[in-house]
Amino acid sequence: MIEFDHAWRTYGSKPAVSDLSLAIPRGELFALLGPNGAGKTTTIKMLVGLLRPSRGAVRVCGCDVVKDPRGAHLHTGYVPDEPTLYDKLTGREFLRFIADMFGMPRHLAARNIDREIENFELTEFADELAESYSLGMKQRLVFAASLLHDPAVLVLDEPMVGLDPRSVKIVKDLIRARTQEGMVVFMSTHTLAMAEELADRVGIMVRGDLRFLGTLDELRGQVALETTSLEHLYLRITASSPDGDAASST
Amino acid sequence: MPGRGAISESCRAIPLEAESRLFWWLRATIAWETLRSMLLGARLRLTLVALLSLVFWGSLYGLFAEGFTFLGSIHAEVISLLFNAFFSSLLLMLVLSTGILLYGSMYRSREARLLLTLPVREETIFAHKFQEAIWFSSWGFVLLGSPMLVAYGVVRGAPWTFYVLLLPFMVAFVVIPATLGGILCMALVAWLGRLRLYALSIAVAAGCAALAWLGWGLLRAGPVDGTSAEWFERMFVKLGVMEQRFLPSWWLSTGLIEAARTSTRPEDRLAALGEAGKFLALLLSNGMMLQVIAAWLARATYRMGYSQLAGEVPSRRQQARGGWFDELLSNCGSASGRPLRLLLVKDLRLFRRDIAQWSQFVIFFGLLGIYFLNLRSFHYNNTYASMISFLNLAVAGLILSTFTTRFIFPMISLEGRRFWILGLLPVHRDQIVMSKFVFAIVGGLPACCGLVLLSDSMLGIPWPLILVHELCCVVLCLGLSGIAVGLGARMPDLRESSPAKISSGFGGTLCLVLSSLYIMAVVIVAAVPAHIAVAAQALGSRPGKSDWIGWLGGPQGTAASILLVVILGVAGTLVPLELGRRAFRRLEL
Repeated sequence: MIEFDHAWRTYGSKPAVSDLSLAIPRGELFALLGPNGAGKTTTIKMLVGLLRPSRGAVRVCGCDVVKDPRGAHLHTGYVPDEPTLYDKLTGREFLRFIADMFGMPRHLAARNIDREIENFELTEFADELAESYSLGMKQRLVFAASLLHDPAVLVLDEPMVGLDPRSVKIVKDLIRARTQEGMVVFMSTHTLAMAEELADRVGIMVRGDLRFLGTLDELRGQVALETTSLEHLYLRITASSPDGDAASST
Repeated sequence: MPGRGAISESCRAIPLEAESRLFWWLRATIAWETLRSMLLGARLRLTLVALLSLVFWGSLYGLFAEGFTFLGSIHAEVISLLFNAFFSSLLLMLVLSTGILLYGSMYRSREARLLLTLPVREETIFAHKFQEAIWFSSWGFVLLGSPMLVAYGVVRGAPWTFYVLLLPFMVAFVVIPATLGGILCMALVAWLGRLRLYALSIAVAAGCAALAWLGWGLLRAGPVDGTSAEWFERMFVKLGVMEQRFLPSWWLSTGLIEAARTSTRPEDRLAALGEAGKFLALLLSNGMMLQVIAAWLARATYRMGYSQLAGEVPSRRQQARGGWFDELLSNCGSASGRPLRLLLVKDLRLFRRDIAQWSQFVIFFGLLGIYFLNLRSFHYNNTYASMISFLNLAVAGLILSTFTTRFIFPMISLEGRRFWILGLLPVHRDQIVMSKFVFAIVGGLPACCGLVLLSDSMLGIPWPLILVHELCCVVLCLGLSGIAVGLGARMPDLRESSPAKISSGFGGTLCLVLSSLYIMAVVIVAAVPAHIAVAAQALGSRPGKSDWIGWLGGPQGTAASILLVVILGVAGTLVPLELGRRAFRRLEL
């Protein structure tokens, strides 16, 4: 469903992502981990078509994100690290705009809008202007919008920022349920506990290189430590890389 | 619930027309909500702005009507020249302003980032952002152009069809430079990459060089009487470059003049209307052709350009520029004033690093400087020289007011998102407001005073009058800065991140209208006694002391006008500034 084929991305002359090859099959929840500036956001931006790979290719459900961006977007739902909404639209109007943009038939759009409003407990303020929403409410609305068209691939960039514990629980449950139904989730996060709890496989990226790719058990097998928590394993793998990079946005 | 992965059942790519309809719905809904919230929450402000805008429109109409009557009585041909000069200047400005606006909204905005992750065509995103940009860049044209053209129609006794055609002509014209700006913007981002800054600089330098060449051509020919036939002939020849038939400004000018043509014979009227229709069709067809090219370019380059731009590493070399000046400014003066100076240094740094700000500042004041430099070549008599010097003072003030509205007014609003930084520092809120005020003065005063001094010396104005003009300059700078900063603090838009949108909004419009009224008040109060005195001298008589006109033209009148100008300056500076400071102290984020 998701395929990075020797994908590179440079900022100026410095590579932010180097020779990334990665395939994520249907129904998998993949967590991409790494320190600040490791290349996680660059990877996600390539996946959703905001950045083009300098070399190589990125495909979603067989659609090349450079050659057929609209085709790839039809299969993708995206939750960015900072929610972007139209302040002068109500939550329901925003969801209708997104549903129409994805060409959903009216009856299906109406049904899915109601479904997501209920799932994310947005009923109380769905008909208020988004300018009055808190950060958490905005984030929940963006989640609802990303799932509206039942995407095959859901891309999450630091998804839990701004969410209260109840909303985090809702999101976790929904992600679990959707992956069981076949959806692919590609998630970038610093919350190791969540990755440990949800991810089928993890990738650990350091300075643009994918240093580790596999399940948690494989990671535990690779790094010989007394403790087997993901936190310790992660710190061991990333220990040699100081934070920061030339490109701050990576 | 549909099966995951089988997404084709629930969504599909929508046709182009449906995408366009969706964006129309989006803009209409947002516009309606904005208007509704203004009507509900700020009815008084809305009414005030509408009234002031009407006064401003009416004043401009009166001014233009007088001007057209005057010009029509001596040199009717000059109206065509004026239209061409006005519209061709506007053409250039609209190309630049729309290009800059589109750069911000297509490549730097969060909305663009959202839209690029949706299955929407690149040309639809361009069209959406273009319609937004054209609105923001051309409202000034409507505010200035409509009273001018209506006044022309009334003075000329134009038929009703002229007024019907005005709006289609203006819209059809505006689309051409705006689309050109969009095309240039996308091409520069996609193909010139990091060279776009240099390309823009070269284009601006080439434009200035062309104007300087034009000015030099007028200057080197030697001085002539500014109202003589020889002067007009020379102007026609030199400014003929603006009357090129391939320029849309010529199509607009000629079309409007044809539409306003009057005749007693119906067949002549019909022929003139047909000619006007031909030029309107020419404008429309060219605008549509450019739209097709822009759509193709957006399809071919938008995503590529966006990606390239997002992958650029900011230049480190530029960040060091001006460091010594910042150090000097930060460390000079008393310790108690240091926070204010540090805020000033921060704003100066932001200004220096934002090419969109200082390039417009340099272009407009540069063009004004070139015009003033050329004044020496016209030998005006004293009456004209005095009148022109005051008009130049008003023009310098009006240009300054566009900058205070565009750049100073949004400054407080732009602090909104980073207010947590300033809010937690040991800095009083008054100092934040005052730092913006000082920044405006530092930026505006030298340019404004220098230009007016240049204008006066070129016109051969006597020293006492130059001093009056310089005093007016100081008063204008203080007042305009006070109005922009005070209103900016009184009605901030803390949610908006685009300074162009903040200045084009409700508060920005009010700021521009109040600034224009303030300029008119200061210049008229200062000009009346001086003009009466000069006119009396020109007529060979001294102003008498018995009647009030004589009193106005005498030393007492001059002293009274200076006093009134100072009072206007103090009131225009302190009242809005104090209102703004009070509001900013109470502001809750």
